Order: sequence, then structure tokens, then C-alpha cells
Amino acid sequence: MRKQKITLKIILINFICFLLFVMFLSFAEENIQEKFKDRNLSIRQKYDDNLKSYGVFNQSAFLPNISVITDFSFNNYNINENSNLFTPGFYNQNPLNTKGFNLNYSELNINASVDPYFDLYFVSSFNENNVEIEEAYAVTRSLSGFQLKIGKFRSSFGRINSQHEHVWDFATPPMIYELFLTDEMLNEKGIQINYLFPSNIYILSGIELLQGDNEMSFGNSSISINTRLDGTGQDILIKSPTKPNLFVGFVKTSFDVGNLSVLTGFSFATGQSRFDKIQDQNFAFSGKTKLYNFELTAKYFIDSYRYISFQTEYIQRSRKGNSYEYDNLGDLVTNQYDSNQSGFYSQIVYRFNKQWRIGLQYNKITNNSVKINGLNQSLPVNLDANYLMLDFNPTEFSRIRIQYGNKDYLFENTNKKRINEFILQFNFAIGSHGAHPF
Amino acid sequence: MKLYRSILIFIFIIFSITFAKVKVVVSYPWIGYLVNEIGKDKVDVFILGKGTEDPHFIVPKPSYIAKLRNADLLIIQGASLEIGFIPALISQANNPKIQPGNNGFLDLSKTVDLIEKPEKVSRAMGDVHPDGNPHYNLDPNNIPILANAIEMKLSQVDNSNSSFYKSNLQIFLSKWNEKLKYWNEEFGKLRGSKVIEYHKKYDYLFTRYGIEIVETIEPLPGIPPTAKYIQEIISNSKSLNVKYVIVDVYNDKKAAQYVAQSIGAKFVVLPQDIGALPNVNDLFQLFDTILNLLTK
Repeated sequence: MRKQKITLKIILINFICFLLFVMFLSFAEENIQEKFKDRNLSIRQKYDDNLKSYGVFNQSAFLPNISVITDFSFNNYNINENSNLFTPGFYNQNPLNTKGFNLNYSELNINASVDPYFDLYFVSSFNENNVEIEEAYAVTRSLSGFQLKIGKFRSSFGRINSQHEHVWDFATPPMIYELFLTDEMLNEKGIQINYLFPSNIYILSGIELLQGDNEMSFGNSSISINTRLDGTGQDILIKSPTKPNLFVGFVKTSFDVGNLSVLTGFSFATGQSRFDKIQDQNFAFSGKTKLYNFELTAKYFIDSYRYISFQTEYIQRSRKGNSYEYDNLGDLVTNQYDSNQSGFYSQIVYRFNKQWRIGLQYNKITNNSVKINGLNQSLPVNLDANYLMLDFNPTEFSRIRIQYGNKDYLFENTNKKRINEFILQFNFAIGSHGAHPF
Repeated sequence: MKLYRSILIFIFIIFSITFAKVKVVVSYPWIGYLVNEIGKDKVDVFILGKGTEDPHFIVPKPSYIAKLRNADLLIIQGASLEIGFIPALISQANNPKIQPGNNGFLDLSKTVDLIEKPEKVSRAMGDVHPDGNPHYNLDPNNIPILANAIEMKLSQVDNSNSSFYKSNLQIFLSKWNEKLKYWNEEFGKLRGSKVIEYHKKYDYLFTRYGIEIVETIEPLPGIPPTAKYIQEIISNSKSLNVKYVIVDVYNDKKAAQYVAQSIGAKFVVLPQDIGALPNVNDLFQLFDTILNLLTK
């Protein structure tokens, strides 16, 4: 009996072991098959790019147009530029660039379509001291005849106002712009609506409602002045105007006569002014300002590469309001201020071959009538400037310009100082292709 | 008051009469010619560039903006040829129809195969076109493809006259294909000839017919030659038996004439579009004139 039991036990155990072994074998075989399949797949996954999932959300296809335009110059003057130069009646400051080498700006342009309805343009100006958003605006693409422009942009007032510096034919802004608006010109936050007439002749009309940040002619902050120069009097607050403060309107037309193209138009800008230079220049102004502009550009295309162009703008500024100053005793005086100032620039540029251009610009103030309490201040009118430039454009993307100028509109104390200005300017553009200028 | 009203109505009628035609603005004369052949009196075509002008440097005049304002269709050659002026014009035209991506916009460069597409681009290479050589219109074998694309677009924009456009296309194609046999034979006789061109303008023509371009007068696209480079060209190609030195009507001719003289080649000014030379008033005359000038 015991022998039978033991044998049975042994057989059973053996059988179970055998079963287990068989199970294990089949399982192992399956496992090996699986592993073999896995290894195939894993090798493929490692080396087959289609199965990889890198860069699934990469959106480089939507990169916008990007370009960078950099401007360097070497400037020289017959005087030390730190002298206090100004133009009577205009309160401009630091009219000259630094002597020696200047990095004038590095302009980053980014633009692209936002969607079927809008395009976005972004221009940021980098210089050594700060970064500025020069323009950041969207324009509509889907309105017929009309266009809406919203954001921060260079106003379409006049001809050169909306053009970026690298498009200018000269290394310096025209004198009237410098005096009426500073070289930043009318660069405002707001909205523009323009309408292009459906005529065969180009007629563009538009209006802009803008914040009015340009302090040279407008400005929208409140002014707080103490009745005493030494600050011991009471503070007078001149309230800021309602904002948006600046309204601009323009109408322009263009037509061709053979190879001659003409663009001409009128613009005007009106708004309140708040100008506070009471500490620096003993002058503050609060009132209303109107700017009127006439522009004319005529370009004669001799052939594919050569042209002669004539461009002129006339600006008139009238201001009415109160001016403030401290008298000899340090007391604040409020005056009735009434001014009518005007001037123009005219330039001829001759592109005599594909790479070379020569240009001459004449600037003049034609009226500098400032009345304080009805009394004409007899401010100087013989204010002008001449510039002669020669530029070499190796390609559309690079430019070397030499410019010589006489500035006869700057005073040191009561004496007019004739400034001789020499500029060697370099301009380079990389990235997306810019538009050819008209 | 009655006079006012009738004048107003008269003006509206005038406007509506002109509205009845499909207003097409095109960048270059050869495109304008094809549109007129297919559209005939149902289209009103305005051509921005002239045959005598360098196509890369058309100026975006404000008067062009007015033409685009009223256009139903804008057709461009593409491949960055118009990159310097068309974008500026259409962004100011206030016309949604002709914006890229909409029905009223056609980029012909997308309808043909472009050659000489650079692998990498940099402006150090000169004024290169990243999509390839844009002057595909100078191979007469491409013209039927382009004419087809124009007919398709016209039919899309003006469906009611689709059969009219299609029949005009067939008439044009039968004339063209007849001439094409003649051109293929005659241009084919120039196979193996060597030429120097000022700019890489006729590459499609030369590639098609086996004409070898040994040099360009421009060291790089858009870069004018220096005296030193001219000497290099002369010494490199003196012994090559170059048949022609080819310039466009708007190129500076002196450098090319000097090279031709120095290497014993014939200096020839080829028309690159309709209107470039007198008696080049349509595409047939364009290729006939090119053939004549290259077989003298």
C-alpha cells in the first residue's frame, strides 16, 4: 500500500511538473514571439521618422515676414553739439545728433496676415537706450473701398510723415517737421478710416482719430505749474484735454502723364495742445493747434533705373491759447498766445544710374509770427537749411550716403549760429523684401 | 433738380457699362496678351509693367493702386518677381477680391514647373529667387499651360462666359501649337550652341533647346559687373566659341558689347516681353523675333 501511494505521489508530482513545464514552454515561446515582434517595432520606431512624434506642434509654416533694418552714421559739426541750440518760436531741443559714430536705430519689422480679415504690421525701434514700438497696427483686408487701420501708426498726414526713416532721401528730417513735430513726427495711437474712390484716377481720402501724444504741437497730459519759480507759490493745474485729442484729415490724388507720375494732396490736423517746458525753457502752452499741409511729389522715370523726382511740402501751424512763463521776479505770468508759423521744404533727387543718386533739399520758414497779448514778438524769419546728398546703393538692401548741410535756423542765446553738418550714413536691411518706395 | 438726376443716372450707366467687362490687372505684357486672347471683348486688361522695363523694378505708382481698387482679377508672374511692388499695391487697394488666397488672385508661377530652385538662399548670392527662376514664360512650350490656367481662372471669375473663354482658348492653342512645331524644329537647330547672357533671363528657352549658357555678365543676379570680372569672363570664354552675347533692352550694353568683341561672339539684344522691341506686339512675334535674332 505505501509503495503504491508513493509512486502515485511521484507520478502526480511529475505530471504536474511536466504540465507546468509545458505551460512554461508555451508561455515562453509566446513571450519570445511577442518580444521578437516588439523588437522589430521598436527598431522601426527608433529609426523610422514617420513613426516619430517630434515636432507635431511645430508651426514654423506660419512664421511672419521678418526684417531688420539698421542705420549707422558718422556725424560731424563745426561746433560742439552740446551747446544750447534752439529756434525762436519753436522750443526744439537737442537738434543735433551726437558727434562721431551713432547707432541711429535698428528697426525690427514683422508683418503677416492675421486671418482673412486683417493684416498686422509691427515695427519696433531698438537703440542703445531703449526699445520703442514705432508702429503696431492692424489693417482690414476684406472691406471694399474702405480700409480701417487701428493701433499705433505713423499718420498719413503729409508725404514724409508716414514714411520710415530708411526710405527718406536725406539723412535728416526736413526742418519744418523737426520744428513742428520733432523727428518722430505724428506717430500716434488711434484709428484711421480711409476710402479709395472707385475712379480711374487715384483719389484717397481719410480721417484719423488719434490720442494726440505728440507734445511738440499737441500733447494730452495735464500741466501743473507753480506760481513761483522757487516753488513756494500755489500749484496751478491746467487740465488735460479730452482724449483722443487729435483729429487728422487728408485727401490725396495721383495721376500719370506719360513717364511723369504726380502725387499731391492736402492734410490737416487739429487738436488741443499741452506743452510744458516751464523748467527747461521757461515756456508752457495750453490751447488749440491747427496744422495744414500741402504736398506735391512729381517723379519722372527716364528708364528702368533712372529718375528725377521733385518733392515739396508746405506746413502751416496756427496756435491760440495761453502761454506761461516766469518773469524776472520769479512770478508766473499767463499770456494770451496767438501764433501763425509756416514753412516748406523742396527737394530734387536724381537717380542717374542703378546705384547712384544725388539730391538737394532746401528748407525755409516763411512765417514766424507769434503774438503775446496781442504784441507781435518779431521773431526771426530768416530761418533756413540746405542739404546736399550723394548715395550709393550697391543693391536694394544696402546704402551708403554722404550728406553735407548748412543749418541756418539755430540760435545760441540771441545769436544765430550757422551749423555746418557732415553725415556719413550706412543703412542695411536683412530678411523679407521691403516695398520699393514711390 | 431734374438735370441733376439725369446726370447722376448717366454717370451710373457709364459705370455699369464698364462694370460689365471683367476688369483684369496683370503685372506684365505677355500675361495681358494671353488674357486678351482668351477674354477678347469681355475683359478690360490693365498692364502694370512695360516690355522696355526691368520686371524686377516696377515702381508702385499710386495710379496703379486705383486700377487695383476696381479690379476683379489680378494675375501675377510670381516666384518673387513682383515682390518689390505688388504687396505694397494690394495692401492699399482696399479690394478684398484680389487679395492672395481669394478668387480674384492668380499666381501663374504655381501652374508650371520652375527650374533652378536653389537649395539654400542668402542675399550674399545676389538677388536670388527662392522658388526658382521666375522667367518661365520664355519657353514657348510653357505658354499652353499658362493659357489654360488663365482660361480656368477667367471661367471661375466669370462663369457665364465660360464657354466663350474655352472656345477662344482652343482657337489660340491650335494656332500656338502649330507654331510650336515650327519653333521646336528651328530652335532645336541651335542645340549645342554656346551663349553668354547678361542676366539669367532666357534659361527656360536655352534649357529646353540644349543651348549652353557658359557665363552671365552679372557676377551674381542683380550685381553689375566690374572691369575685373569682365576680363575674367573674356579669358574664360575666349576659347569656347561662344555664338552670342545676349542682353535685355534695359541692360547696360557697353560691357556686353566689349565682351562680344573680345571673344568673337555676336552681340544681340533680345526682347524679353511684348513691347521690348518694335514689331514685337504679341507672343508669336516675340518668339519669332528671338528666333530670328539667334539664327542670324
